[in-house]
Amino acid sequence: MKQKDLLQQMCDYALQGALRKGAQHARVAAISNTANELSVLNDSIETIQKAVDSSLMIHLFVDGRYGTCSTNKADPAGIDKLLDDAVASVRLLAPDPFRILVPGELRYEGDPLYSAHRGSVDTGVKKAFLSGCAASVWGKDPALISVTAGYSDYRRWLHLADTDGLNCTSEETWYSLSVECAVRGRGDARPSDWDYLGGIKPENIGIGKETPCTCAATALERALSKRNPGKIASGRYPVIVENRVAATLLAPLIEAMSGSSLQQQNSFLLDKLGKSIASPALTLIDNPHRKGSPGYRFFDNEGLRTAKRTVIESGRLNTFFLSTYYALKMQMPPTISSPSLLFLKGGKGSAATIAGSMKNGIFVTGFNGGNCNTATGDFSYGIEGYKVENGQITYPVNEMVMTGNMLDLWNRLLAAGDDALTTMSWQIPSLLFDNIEFAGL
Amino acid sequence: MDLTTATDMDSYKLLNLALRKGGDYADLYFEQTTFHSIVLRDGEVNAASTHNEGGLGIRVVSGQNTGYAYTESSLPRDREEAARTASHIAQGLIRTSQPAAIATLNLPDRYRIVKPWEEFSPQEKMPFLYDLNDRIFSADKRVKKVTAQLSDSTSQIEIYNSLGIHCADIRPMASLSVSCVMESGGQRESASSSRSFRMGGEFLTPGLIEELAREIIDRTSFLFGAKQPNGGEMPVVMAAGGSGILLHEAIGHAFEADFARKKVSIFSDMMGKRVCSPGITVIDDGTIAGNRGSLNVDDEGVPGQKTYMVTDGILTSFLHDRISARYFQAEPTGNGRRESFRYMPLPRMRATYMDNGPDTEEALIASVKKGLYVDTFSNGQVQIGAGDFTFYVKSGYLIENGKLTQPIKDTNIIGNGPEALARITGVANNCAIDNGTWTCGKEQSCAVSCGMPSVLVSSLTVGGRV
Repeated sequence: MKQKDLLQQMCDYALQGALRKGAQHARVAAISNTANELSVLNDSIETIQKAVDSSLMIHLFVDGRYGTCSTNKADPAGIDKLLDDAVASVRLLAPDPFRILVPGELRYEGDPLYSAHRGSVDTGVKKAFLSGCAASVWGKDPALISVTAGYSDYRRWLHLADTDGLNCTSEETWYSLSVECAVRGRGDARPSDWDYLGGIKPENIGIGKETPCTCAATALERALSKRNPGKIASGRYPVIVENRVAATLLAPLIEAMSGSSLQQQNSFLLDKLGKSIASPALTLIDNPHRKGSPGYRFFDNEGLRTAKRTVIESGRLNTFFLSTYYALKMQMPPTISSPSLLFLKGGKGSAATIAGSMKNGIFVTGFNGGNCNTATGDFSYGIEGYKVENGQITYPVNEMVMTGNMLDLWNRLLAAGDDALTTMSWQIPSLLFDNIEFAGL
Repeated sequence: MDLTTATDMDSYKLLNLALRKGGDYADLYFEQTTFHSIVLRDGEVNAASTHNEGGLGIRVVSGQNTGYAYTESSLPRDREEAARTASHIAQGLIRTSQPAAIATLNLPDRYRIVKPWEEFSPQEKMPFLYDLNDRIFSADKRVKKVTAQLSDSTSQIEIYNSLGIHCADIRPMASLSVSCVMESGGQRESASSSRSFRMGGEFLTPGLIEELAREIIDRTSFLFGAKQPNGGEMPVVMAAGGSGILLHEAIGHAFEADFARKKVSIFSDMMGKRVCSPGITVIDDGTIAGNRGSLNVDDEGVPGQKTYMVTDGILTSFLHDRISARYFQAEPTGNGRRESFRYMPLPRMRATYMDNGPDTEEALIASVKKGLYVDTFSNGQVQIGAGDFTFYVKSGYLIENGKLTQPIKDTNIIGNGPEALARITGVANNCAIDNGTWTCGKEQSCAVSCGMPSVLVSSLTVGGRV
């Protein structure tokens, strides 16, 4: 039996079982996953891992009450026992009139989502590829202490169904390569840096290509450039945030737009819908239907149909992320529980070209800890990066902290580059902000 | 996973199969976990979840290299397939070692369960959440929202390895988390509090509810008068308890021996050397009764124990799993831990704390002319090789002329591990363990805890306004 049919059969059994045990409605997600991982440390294979998983998540709506149960033992007897216990437990809860299945007009009813590579890669090929990747730098620089190269792939099938007729299926694959290099720095310090590639096909990470993989060389070059860092004077600086870490600054905005934060009044974007919250340079689009990108999807975890939305347009907040539950509670129409594939509309140039016009600023290439208060928007993040002087990226900086308020920060956005990474589900280019507070010396 | 379907004989055969291509060591990790939670939101306990899962993880170690596979099936053919997959790490064509005859370890009981969680229904748990909600709302008119979650889990694990060790453990975990939103004069503030122990249903007491209600009210109220501090380098007094996050981030991870084995930790070459002032002792402890990080046995069959990482200022032990212990020719320290059967074990912390010193907290504060006092935290991070660590401060005070003055909030503090250790210039005599829901995220999630007496660090970089 095909995996898709097997998962549908599991869903059907669980849905029927839920009704038989006393639920009036139910939704079931069945997932099957196979994954492989390999890692190379310096010049030898360090780990080989293989995983085969399955899981069943059942949402129960019993006498106006709601609960979930899940298991990785999806045999009929196991499902029956799980449902017996869960239905009995749910009956003891307080009613919740805001829990519903996705209404028919919002339900996804299209074709299965297929975002997968048809073949597989031989273990010997993976080993050779990964070893070659590490070997491209190992022993090539006296400062290099270690190189760790990691390969992973997975194939995941999902079937989502409910008792109102929802039937969604997806099959996805993802291949990834990550490389980290550590080098000898000042004293006992061993700075490190990394590079990453990902895609739905092995070719996306360089397997089968004649050109050698450059990830290890990039990771080594970045690690070497971080040697002997220092702090600079506390003060306000213009800052460029590199494409691969810029999503860190977007995450608190997205969190504050989520139904759970808004409904619990724990959001600095409460009452901001339709209002300007950021600089006109910020336009953010959720486009779930760009094939081949991570985050590509037709439906969310409830079966809500995804759609392209302009989340923020020229600084104006256009939408919240509302599941059916929080939408009902807030008496607003549902949108989607969370963003799928976010694109921050870019301008021109890379971080380096943006830096070219900066006289005295900071180029942030990594965040080290920190957090944001979702109620107020106040944030504080450790950073690492480089000092920018007269248009040139100069020496590395570390042990500094960037502090402010999210609304103030995004109103200080001057420009965005055009260098968003397509291997990420939030494709955010390098960003230029003006006059941001940094604590250092 | 039905553990009873694995006999000593079956397990011996699986270990034998796992070592068929060579390899120095193999182990089997059987797990069956049941998890429950109930949630109170908007005044009602109206969501519950139950999760159960089980499986078998099989590992083969050859030198420093590891093959790992797991199966969720209890069918012999699936388990054998997992063993064959793990065996591929060994490059040889023939067996080089034989599993030893199996003998069962007797283990201590550091988390005796008085009331098993499976005997509790939501109906018995719900009144505690309603009581917590009522206490918080009745304590302060500014309270707008309360969310509380009670979670419990019980994991049965069983380990067999090729050294002949067999052991079994039942590990409970109970956690209660609460968050509160208050509003006053257009200002909104939110805070959270939690408690977590390896306990059964005896975890739930009126005293726990009263303590947590008081704490969350205090924490949220505090924020109305607090502001982000001015940033820069300054002395920091870290309050007893949750300040143990300093140890976890600044040195704990860098002492995990997989990093030292790979030579990527800033402390890789410092064994036996002075890393902080005389008199300072730092411990990672798996033996505290009921503690969130405690273990009767780690996840590779090494008994839980207390490890002195720093003794009187000298680095005396890394935290080892079996692979690193063998590499360093040291004894394993019982730190081989994993999130579940889906993961291979790694060196991980348990409860990490510093021993008491001779000072008082009052004296440490009084010695600072201008600095910061910090007492609640949310998260931290470290760069193992560079040594830079951070922790996020939810609340504290300015210290001005030896006195606590302006309340502060929401600042990230950053330092460098070896430098920060060397800058601990005072240690008080009030060590406390923080029993919140600390979870470490090194590749996998692991329950930990931390503690500390109040300490004075002579200089750290404080994030803030400039």
